[in-house]
Amino acid sequence: MKPTSAAPSVAPAVEAEGVSRRYGDVAALAEASFRLEAGRFLTVLGPSGSGKSTLLRLIAGFEAPDAGRLRLYGRPVEAIPPHRRSVGMVFQRLALFPHMTAAENVAFPLRMRRWDARDIPARVARFLSLVRLDGLGARRPHELSGGQQQRVAIARALVFEPELLLLDEPLAALDAKLREEMQLEFRRIQRELGVTTINVTHDQREALVMSDRVIVMDQGRILQDADPETLWREPAHAFVAGFLGVGAFLDGVAAEGPALAIAGATLPGRAPAGRAAPAPGARARGSLRADRVRLAGAGATPAGCHAAAPALVEDAIFEGDRILYELRLPTMGGARLRAIDRDPGAHARHAPGAAVTAGWARDDMILFDAD
Amino acid sequence: MRGGWLHWTVAALAAAFLAAPSLVVLGASFTAGNIVAFPPEGFSLRWYGQVLSSTALRGAFLRSLEVAAVCTAVAIPAGTLAAVALARWRFRRATAIQLYLLLPFTVPLIGSGIGLMLLFGELRLLGAVWPVGLAACVINLPFMIWAVAASVNGLDPELERAAANCGAGPAQTFLLVTLPAVAPGVVAGALLMFILALNEFLVSLLLVDARTVTLPVHVYNSIRAVITPDLAAVSSIFVLAAAAAIWALDRLVGLDIFLKAK
Ligand SMILES: Nc1ncnc2c1ncn2[C@@H]1O[C@H](COP(=O)(O)OP(=O)(O)O)[C@@H](O)[C@H]1O
Ligand SMILES: [Mg+2]
Repeated sequence: MKPTSAAPSVAPAVEAEGVSRRYGDVAALAEASFRLEAGRFLTVLGPSGSGKSTLLRLIAGFEAPDAGRLRLYGRPVEAIPPHRRSVGMVFQRLALFPHMTAAENVAFPLRMRRWDARDIPARVARFLSLVRLDGLGARRPHELSGGQQQRVAIARALVFEPELLLLDEPLAALDAKLREEMQLEFRRIQRELGVTTINVTHDQREALVMSDRVIVMDQGRILQDADPETLWREPAHAFVAGFLGVGAFLDGVAAEGPALAIAGATLPGRAPAGRAAPAPGARARGSLRADRVRLAGAGATPAGCHAAAPALVEDAIFEGDRILYELRLPTMGGARLRAIDRDPGAHARHAPGAAVTAGWARDDMILFDAD
Repeated sequence: MRGGWLHWTVAALAAAFLAAPSLVVLGASFTAGNIVAFPPEGFSLRWYGQVLSSTALRGAFLRSLEVAAVCTAVAIPAGTLAAVALARWRFRRATAIQLYLLLPFTVPLIGSGIGLMLLFGELRLLGAVWPVGLAACVINLPFMIWAVAASVNGLDPELERAAANCGAGPAQTFLLVTLPAVAPGVVAGALLMFILALNEFLVSLLLVDARTVTLPVHVYNSIRAVITPDLAAVSSIFVLAAAAAIWALDRLVGLDIFLKAK
């Protein structure tokens, strides 16, 4: 078996410093900087077109950055062509070789990397087994189901023990149930092999479920880099707050406190973690997660709330384990709010058209500068 | 299905119209008489026997095979590389090359034929068989390019990136991933080139002399003397050979590859 090259233990697996890439007028990636320690699972989360695939293409070496520096395990990679980088990738459309069997697909990286031919069959069998495809090695890709093809692609990307695994939304095309199954599968394999992984997705749930760390991107920029819980609790930008979870924004003017002034009312809130609240007098938007908004009957104030406002129920959407209320605040210029009731069986449901009171604690409303 | 009968009637008429010449020739080849006639006079295989025993016909047939073989052998590498290059790399002369690909429909064959005749005459190549194959290749190459381009366009561009990611250099990627993935188009194009070269008439007529006649030219020369049923037999053999090639094409790669071109 091929000896694994001893990676310098101190250098991070990936180190990007001001990496940029333009396509014509579009800045697909603008001065991206981050470090990823070896053995970690990082997810890059962002809407379509935010530059996620561009980042992976630069790391894999299919394209070169216009500016900035990229190091893998301490080594600058600019001069290394893609086929000499120790990076495995699972492509969005999988890109299995159609004329090869599953086993030949998995053997291909070993053949190209000149492994001893006698070691290859056992190694391929081990990795087909790792992705639970025992006995299917002789099939061509078109003879396998979508989930099975996915597993072949994973085995092919991992079989040569890459220093880094890149996943370009490989789960996006799967149906919801299979996708959740494969998310856990990826996580299991990643833990089993301990391979440093960068996963790319526009699915916030996937990012939270799978990752040690999440980078949120929008329009080629990195907006936040944090672990999933911090990201969820302490969004650093209004965009991040809007992208994760279900919620709403209240637009108004920043006030002392800090607070948000809308239509004569002053609603207490707080600054984003580690940052200043918007300057008093400036336009600001308050972010309120639906699961933090509590409802009570008209005139009453929900327990434990620092702020409350009369609300009209516009819609009450039954989602099985919860009810999502779409609300309108008539005293706040008709602003919209959302509330989630996680225990729909416990008490009476508010019907559409009902007048209620919506309330929240001070720390639940985060105040951002309006863009 | 309402209106279905109309479709089928039109389709059947069109098929009959297209097949009629071949059927007439096939019928005439079985005649027992001494002149070409349809419906045939009686039934016999004597003209097929005649064909098989004629050294002139056999020689012409072998030369046609040689022409087709040369044409195909040149077309496979030339057409494949051209198609891959055209589909993969955007370059400045791309539109000019696309225009060239339309040439078989725009330049009359007699024009290309005379051009090649002058060129080959200048190069002192007239009188040999292989230059006819080369000429057939030059004229028909766009068909080869189309067939391969259909396969290349159907290829996932990420496939080659995946190969590089697996550690394959550019040459290995081309040989081990790109080529096998477009192989169906190459097979289809090669068979097509073979049939086209086997049947090639007009340009051959200008390039051959008495010692190097190909089968279609031989048949044409014979018709100008006297039309005997052995020519109908030769033509039938031709039609059957072409049909066999189309059948093989369908079995090997499927005919729909031509519908996916573009
Ligand atoms: N090859 C390309 N040519 C031109 N523009 C491109 C190319 N690749 C990406 N882009 C543009 O760069 C931006 C980021 O693209 P991409 O990295 O693919 O986003 P994502 O993977 O997050 O959806 C998009 O605006 C996209 O249109
Ligand atoms: Mg993408």
